[in-house]
Amino acid sequence: MPDRSFRYPLRWHVMDALERGADILWPATFSRMTGWLLAAPAILLVGLLVLGLIQIGDASMHVLDTSTFRMSEAYTLANYADAFTSAVYFKVAWRSLLAAALTTALTLAFAFPYAYAMVRTRSATVRKALLIALFLPFFIGQVVRAYGWLIILGNNGIVNDMLGVVGVEPIRLLFNFPAVIFGLVQYMLPFGVLMLAPALTAIPEETEIAAGSLGASWPRAIWHVILPMARPGLIGAGIVVFTLSLTDFAMPAILGGGSQDFIANAIYDQFFRTADQGLGSALALMLVALGSLIVGAVFTLFGAGTLALGARK
Amino acid sequence: MRYTGKGLTRRGLMRSAMATSGAALVAGMPAGRLLAQDEPEKPSEIIVRAWGGSWVEALKAGVSNPFTEMTGITVRHDLTEDNEIQPKIWAAVAQNRMPPIHVNWDTTTNATKSALRGVTEDLSDLPNLANTTDLAKPVGLDGYPIVNTYGYVYVLAYRPEAFPDGPPQSWRDLLDPRFDGRIALYNDGIGFHFPAQVAGGGSLDDIPENMEPCWDFVREIKALNPLLGEDPDFTAWFQNGEIDVACTISTNALAAQQNGVPIEWTVPQEGCKFDTDGLWVPQGLPENELYWAKQYINFAISQEAQQVWLDGLGLPGVVPGLTPPEGLADDPSYPTEPEDFENLIRISSEVQVQNESEWFSRFKEIMQG
Amino acid sequence: MSTAEAVRTDTASTATTAVSVDGVDMDFGTGTLAVRDASFTLETGRFLTILGPSGSGKTTLLRLIAGFQTPTRGEIRIHGQRISAKPPHKRSIGMVFQRLALFPHMTAAENVAFPLKMRRHDPATTPDKVDAYLRLVRLDGLGDRRIHELSGGQQQRVAIARALVFEPDLLLLDEPLAALDRKLREEMQLEFRRIQKELGVTTINVTHDQREALVVSDEIIVMDHGEIQQAARPSEMYRNPANAFVANFIGVTSFLDGRFDGGALDVGGVSCAGTPVSKLDPGSPARGAIRAEQVRLGAPGTTLEACDTQLDGVVDDVIFEGERLVYVVTVPALGDAALRIYHHDPAAQDLYGAGAAVRVGWTEADLRIFKKTGEPA
Repeated sequence: MPDRSFRYPLRWHVMDALERGADILWPATFSRMTGWLLAAPAILLVGLLVLGLIQIGDASMHVLDTSTFRMSEAYTLANYADAFTSAVYFKVAWRSLLAAALTTALTLAFAFPYAYAMVRTRSATVRKALLIALFLPFFIGQVVRAYGWLIILGNNGIVNDMLGVVGVEPIRLLFNFPAVIFGLVQYMLPFGVLMLAPALTAIPEETEIAAGSLGASWPRAIWHVILPMARPGLIGAGIVVFTLSLTDFAMPAILGGGSQDFIANAIYDQFFRTADQGLGSALALMLVALGSLIVGAVFTLFGAGTLALGARK
Repeated sequence: MRYTGKGLTRRGLMRSAMATSGAALVAGMPAGRLLAQDEPEKPSEIIVRAWGGSWVEALKAGVSNPFTEMTGITVRHDLTEDNEIQPKIWAAVAQNRMPPIHVNWDTTTNATKSALRGVTEDLSDLPNLANTTDLAKPVGLDGYPIVNTYGYVYVLAYRPEAFPDGPPQSWRDLLDPRFDGRIALYNDGIGFHFPAQVAGGGSLDDIPENMEPCWDFVREIKALNPLLGEDPDFTAWFQNGEIDVACTISTNALAAQQNGVPIEWTVPQEGCKFDTDGLWVPQGLPENELYWAKQYINFAISQEAQQVWLDGLGLPGVVPGLTPPEGLADDPSYPTEPEDFENLIRISSEVQVQNESEWFSRFKEIMQG
Repeated sequence: MSTAEAVRTDTASTATTAVSVDGVDMDFGTGTLAVRDASFTLETGRFLTILGPSGSGKTTLLRLIAGFQTPTRGEIRIHGQRISAKPPHKRSIGMVFQRLALFPHMTAAENVAFPLKMRRHDPATTPDKVDAYLRLVRLDGLGDRRIHELSGGQQQRVAIARALVFEPDLLLLDEPLAALDRKLREEMQLEFRRIQKELGVTTINVTHDQREALVVSDEIIVMDHGEIQQAARPSEMYRNPANAFVANFIGVTSFLDGRFDGGALDVGGVSCAGTPVSKLDPGSPARGAIRAEQVRLGAPGTTLEACDTQLDGVVDDVIFEGERLVYVVTVPALGDAALRIYHHDPAAQDLYGAGAAVRVGWTEADLRIFKKTGEPA
C-alpha cells in the first residue's frame, strides 16, 4: 500500500460545510440572482443617499419664515436666487475652488515623488518606513491633526520658539489662507500617495530603463514617459483630493481663524446657526452640483478610464 | 458654543460640597407640591441638554444633584451643541415622536425660535415664577414658553499687558494698528453688533431698520484681520498669546482667568450686549415626564438652586437676594441694580430672532470678503 | 574563445572590437555567482547570441553589457571605452526589451522619434529618419497608430526601429521574441537577421531558443550556471559541442554513460566506438553523446553500412513531428539506454511500430565522448 501523504486540508472541510450551509439558505437555482444579492447592501445605501438628496432638494425650495421658524408651504427658488446673488457665497465658493485646486496641485506634486520612491526603492526597509510614515498620520483624525498644527504653528509653538532662538519675532503662521492650504495638503498627502502608488506600480521599471537607454536623462524620462503613463493615477488622485478639499469643513474652521470659510462651513452655518434648512439645502445642492460638474468635466476630457474603469493595459 | 475645555476648579468643587449639604434645606420650599399625593409616576431619569465643562458642572452642583436627591430621579446631561439639538427637536415634534431630551438649556434667542415654531410647552404655571424678577420673563412672547434663568454680558476681555495705560475705554480703542490680527470676535458676530452700532456712530433705536453704522465699524475692524471663533477658541487664543482682546461672554473670561490666563474684562463707554439664557421643555413628552421636567425647571429658579448654580457661572440670576460670587459684586459683568444696566444693551428676543440670520450674513459677508 | 582572450586596451587593436568582456563576475549575494568569470570579445558588425536555459545568467550578462548593473569584478568595454564611463542615457546602445517597453501614450512614429528628441538630433531631419526606419521595419503608413492598435509583430517592429533610429554602436536584444507564437517568432527572427545585415550594427541577442540562436547569429555563446560553456560559430557549435551540456542544449541528443577505455566508450562491458572530445584518462567515467540524426536505423538482422558499432534494439515509441518521425529505441545491451533517432522519409510512414525489433548503429566520428561532469540538464 502506498503511503497516503495527502490529507484533505481542514480549511477545505470548513469551506465545504459553509457551501452546504449556503446551499440551504440560497439554493443553487437562485444563483443567477447572487450578484444582485451581493450588490443589494450597496444599492440600498446609494438609494438612501438619493432619497436624502431628494429631501434636501425639496427643502431647498422652501424659504424660512422667521416669525414662526417654519419652512414656507409654497415652492420657490428664492434660496437659489439668494445664494447666486450673494457676494459672500460667491466669495466662499471661489475660495473653496481655489483652495481645492491649489491643494490638488501641491498634494500631487508632493505625493508623486513619495509614491515613486515607495514603489521603486529596492530596500524593503525603506518601503516599510515610507508606508508607516504615510499611515501614521492617516490614523490620526483630521480634527486632531488640525489641533496639532495649532500647537506647532502657534505664537508660542515650536516653530516660533525656534525662530525666537535666532532672534525672529513671532510670526502669525495660523488663521490665514496659506495655513488652511498647508493643513489640507498635509491631510490629503496619504490619499494622493495611496492613489498614485498602484498607477506607478503598473508602469514596468523596464519602461523607465528603456527611456534611459533611448537617451532620456532621469528627469526627462519622468517628464516624458512616467508622468504621462501615470496620468490615470494622477487624475484619479486629483479627483479624490479635489473633491475632498472642496467639501472640507474642519481645516478652514480650525486653521482659518474664522475668516476662511469654505462652502461646507457656510452650509453648517445655515443649518445650525441660523436654522435655515432651506438656504442650507440650496447651498448643499449647489456644492454637489459644482463637484459633480468638475468631476464630470474631467471625465469628459480624460475619459472614465482614469479611474481604471475599463482601462486598457 | 460654550466653553468646554476645563474641568472643575477648586472653587467649583467647594460649591458642589455646599450644595450637597444644603439639599436638606431646599426640601422646604417646593416640597409642598413635590410630595403631594397626586404626583404622577416618576421616570427613572430625565435628560437635560447642557453646555459642557464648567457650565455643566455648575448646573450639576446647583440644580441636577439636589433635584436627584429630592426626587430620586436621575438627571442625565446631554452635551449635544445647542444649535445641533434644535433641528432634532424640531424634527421630533414635527413627526410626533418623543423628543430626544426633557429640558433644553438654551440661549433665549434660540429658545425663542423654538417657541415661535410652537415646539415648546407652556411653563407659566410654575409656582416659583412668583418669586422671580422681570428678567425671567421672555420679551415679546405670550406667557412662559421659556423661562430665563440668568443674564450675561458680552464683555470686552483683554490682556492687561497689551493695555499698559489702563483698560480700554471705548470699542474704538481696538482700531489701533497694533491690534492687527490680535482681536477675536464670535464667528457670527454675536454680541458685537449692538456695541458696534454705537461705536460706528449710530443709535440703538435704529435697530433693526438702519444698521449701517454697525457694518461700517465691523468693516473698520475687518481691516485689522480679526480672528473669528467660538467660546473654546477664545480661551485657547488668550492662553497661547494669539490675541490681545476679545468680545466674549464674561463666564468664558472668568473661566480663563480661573485657569491662570492673565485676562481682565470691562464694559466700554458704548456699552455691551446683555442677554439671557433659559430653560424650556419640548412638546411630545408623556404626561408624567412632562410634569417632572417642569418640576426640574421650577427648582432651577428657586433661590437655593440659583445661588449655587450661578456662583459657578459667575452670572446674575432671576431671583432677588442672591449673594454675588467673590469679587464680582461690583463687576460690570454682574449687573443686579437698575443703574448697573445703564451701560448694557438689551434688544428684544423678537427683534433678534427675526433679524439674526440677516445680521449673521451681513457680518459674514464683511468678514469673508 | 571559451577561455578569455587577451583583451587589449590600446585603441589601435580595438578598432574592430566592438565589445570586450573581461573576467566579469556578478554577485547578487544569493550564495552563487549569477555570472562567473565571463570573458569574450565581439567584432564590429557581428551578430552574437547568448544562449542558455533560464537562470543561466544570460540576461544578467546582457544587462551588465547594457550598463544597467555594474559587475562585481572585471571590466566591460564598448569600442575600448568602459561602459561605466557614461550614464545610461549617454551611451550609444539600442535595446529591445523582453516586454518591448514601448510607450503606450505615444504613436508608433512618436516612439521612434523619442530617442532622436532625447538625444537632441536636428529636428529638421527627424521626420525623414522616422520614416526611413519605419520603412526599414516595414511599418510604412502605420506611424500614426497608437501602440495598442498594432499587432504583436508590429509592436516588435516599432521596438526595433526605436532601438536603431539613433544609429547606436551596439544593439541589444533581451529575449524580445519569447512571448510570440512560433510562426511569428520565426518570421521575426528572419527580420532581425535581415535588418542587422542591412545596417551592419553590432548586435547581442539573448535567448533560450536554440533554433533562434542557430538561425540569426554569426556567433553563439552558450551559458549555464553563470558560466560560459562554449563560444563558437553556429555550425561549429552544432557539430562540435564542447561538452555534454552544449551537446544536450543544442540539437536532440542521446547519452550513454560508461567509462573511457583508452579508445572507445565502455558501457557495461559493451564497447561503443566514439571519438573523445575532452582530454580523458583511460578508465575515467565518461559520457557519450550522439545526435538523433546520426543514429542509423535498420531492420533486425541487417548490417548497417559503415557503422562502427551495431546493436539490437526495440522500438519503444514513435513520435510523429510532421516533417519527420522520431523513434525512441531502447538497447538492452546498453542497459536499456534509450536512443532518439530521426527518420526523414515522409513517404515511408511508420517503418516500424512500437515493440518492433530494430538494428541501430553509428560511426566512430558520430559518438562524441565527454568527460563526465554533472548530469545533463
